[in-house]
Amino acid sequence: MTPDDLDGILSTADNLEPSSDFVMSVMAAVRLADAEPPALTFPWLRFAAGLTASGVMAAAGTILLLRSGTALTTVTAPLAQLAAVVPELGYATAAVLLSLGLASVPRLLFRD
Amino acid sequence: MQPVRPALCPMLRAKERPMGKEDQDADCVARVVAGDISGFEAIVQRWQHRVLILAWRFCRDRATAEDMAQEVFLKVFRSLALFRGDSAFSTWLMSIALNTFRSRLRAEGQPLLSLDPDRLLAPTPGALRGLEERQRAEAVRRAVLTLPKRYRDAILVYYFEEKDLAESARILAVAEGTLKAQLHRGRELLRRRCANLDPLAAGVIKEEP
Repeated sequence: MTPDDLDGILSTADNLEPSSDFVMSVMAAVRLADAEPPALTFPWLRFAAGLTASGVMAAAGTILLLRSGTALTTVTAPLAQLAAVVPELGYATAAVLLSLGLASVPRLLFRD
Repeated sequence: MQPVRPALCPMLRAKERPMGKEDQDADCVARVVAGDISGFEAIVQRWQHRVLILAWRFCRDRATAEDMAQEVFLKVFRSLALFRGDSAFSTWLMSIALNTFRSRLRAEGQPLLSLDPDRLLAPTPGALRGLEERQRAEAVRRAVLTLPKRYRDAILVYYFEEKDLAESARILAVAEGTLKAQLHRGRELLRRRCANLDPLAAGVIKEEP
């Protein structure tokens, strides 16, 4: 097959006409789409407020714990003992929590 | 009486000039954005044939092509408010069509290329030679769909746009030089694949003499 043959075949126009009810069916779908309520946008304002609040809470908690001194060691002592016995438990817990957090991101972003 | 050409008649106001296709599209877009959905019907009427033909070239199945064309018009309707007029409406529309067809093929895989007997085997009296030619041509067009995506899209859009390199490059969102290279490579691949093309290779049942 020569390049000219190929060019000739590919240049041939197709004789395909839309069905008689094509416009009607498109317009029916369009009217249906128009009647739908607009998709919910991502709540950026609430997200920002939540993020700020979380930051403030975390900072406040850290400051309080640091000020409490001995109380901090009392709270973390059982965890430290557990980590000494089974250190993998801490890594596993962190991995599970991180995975759960990452898995929820697409759901949050793409939910209607 | 000779019609008055706008260039020769400075007094002719823009309002009185006959509307071009682009003006008509812009008018319809403005109407739809303002809330008049009936304006969209004119857009569908005007572009249905071209969108359907491009869809057909991507799947070679009438029902699928109509379904894909409808999907294109729905997407166009939903994003009409985003059309800024930076490019021609036709370019914008065809880009949406192209992306829709690409996504569809990506999601559903290559179409099963069934034969359409009405198109391929319509017996014209004693025209076996013509039939073979048509079968061969159809096999070549289907072979285009088996090319790597970038070559497939380049060839389909370029020939759909009647070899208008600049417009095809705009629709494909690539540089003209890139498109030229893709066309060259794609045609070469296609020519090699179709070198020994036998209508039977495309699965077409040959007419008994």
